[in-house]
Amino acid sequence: MATSTVSSVPLSLSDRLTAGIIALMIGGFLVFGAGLANSAVLHDTAHDTRHSYGFPCH
Amino acid sequence: MIVKTLLAAVVAGLIAGVFMTGAQELRVTPLILHAEEFEGEAPAATGQPAGEQPAATDHQQHSSLSGAPTLSEMLAALSPVTPAYAHEGEEHEEGGIMFGMSRFSGTLAANLVTGAGFSLLLAGISLMIGYPITLANGALWGAFGWLAVHLLPAVGLPPELPGFPAAELSDRQLWWGATVLLSAVGLYLLALRPELVAKLAGLVLVAAPHLYGAPQPPDISSNVPAVLGAEFAVAALATTLAFWLVLGIVSGFINDRFLRVN
Repeated sequence: MATSTVSSVPLSLSDRLTAGIIALMIGGFLVFGAGLANSAVLHDTAHDTRHSYGFPCH
Repeated sequence: MIVKTLLAAVVAGLIAGVFMTGAQELRVTPLILHAEEFEGEAPAATGQPAGEQPAATDHQQHSSLSGAPTLSEMLAALSPVTPAYAHEGEEHEEGGIMFGMSRFSGTLAANLVTGAGFSLLLAGISLMIGYPITLANGALWGAFGWLAVHLLPAVGLPPELPGFPAAELSDRQLWWGATVLLSAVGLYLLALRPELVAKLAGLVLVAAPHLYGAPQPPDISSNVPAVLGAEFAVAALATTLAFWLVLGIVSGFINDRFLRVN
């Protein structure tokens, strides 16, 4: 199906690990900021999201 | 190629975040709003723990810091959000929603950020352990994400409505984070490692936080009706399951179509 112009070069092992670590770090940062960070502004903005995702909240 | 891989995960997360916002508005958010009507009131006819809620009769239910009730009342009066909503507005910062967004757009923004975050975490794990997320296995990836991040932690700390009694926030966050981490590692060992020892170790890791026990509130009386709590717990778990399934399948689709990492 994906026979288009897409690069089909698989990631090398080191690229894969680099990408994985970057993804984990950015992802962790985003989830922490939206879900757990102890800031009143972040809390109030993300309030309904925190509750509906079951993050521990106030 | 690395950037492309990360972008693919972000796009999948944003799509899942938009979907999640729609799903939340149907059932979860109305329940949160309903519960907030009860939030500020003192639990009726039950003994107040001494010193725990000195100002529980007003609408600042989180005044356990007992700093300055008059200041928090002033802040509440100035705040554009309702007192029940500005849970922690009285602490250090004034709170309020970022950039003057409406409550809905704040939730949408938070869902997009959370979606992208979970998507990147899922992609990161997939890259680290060398199991690509594909359209064929995307739903399974999503289901395992839901197990690790929502269902297993919910065994100890069920999704809370505003106004529910709860233990110290930092204790719960620590337990929650540790449970997500242990559950993820445990599920990996259970699902993807063939060795019997690994499976046993996975079982132990998944069970460990529950044997240790989640932090519990000292007093469980609450004004929020129990039925609302039950409905909310089910609604929250159901919508997050849908979110993770969408996230896994969309990630798999994008990977198959645009990356072909395998």
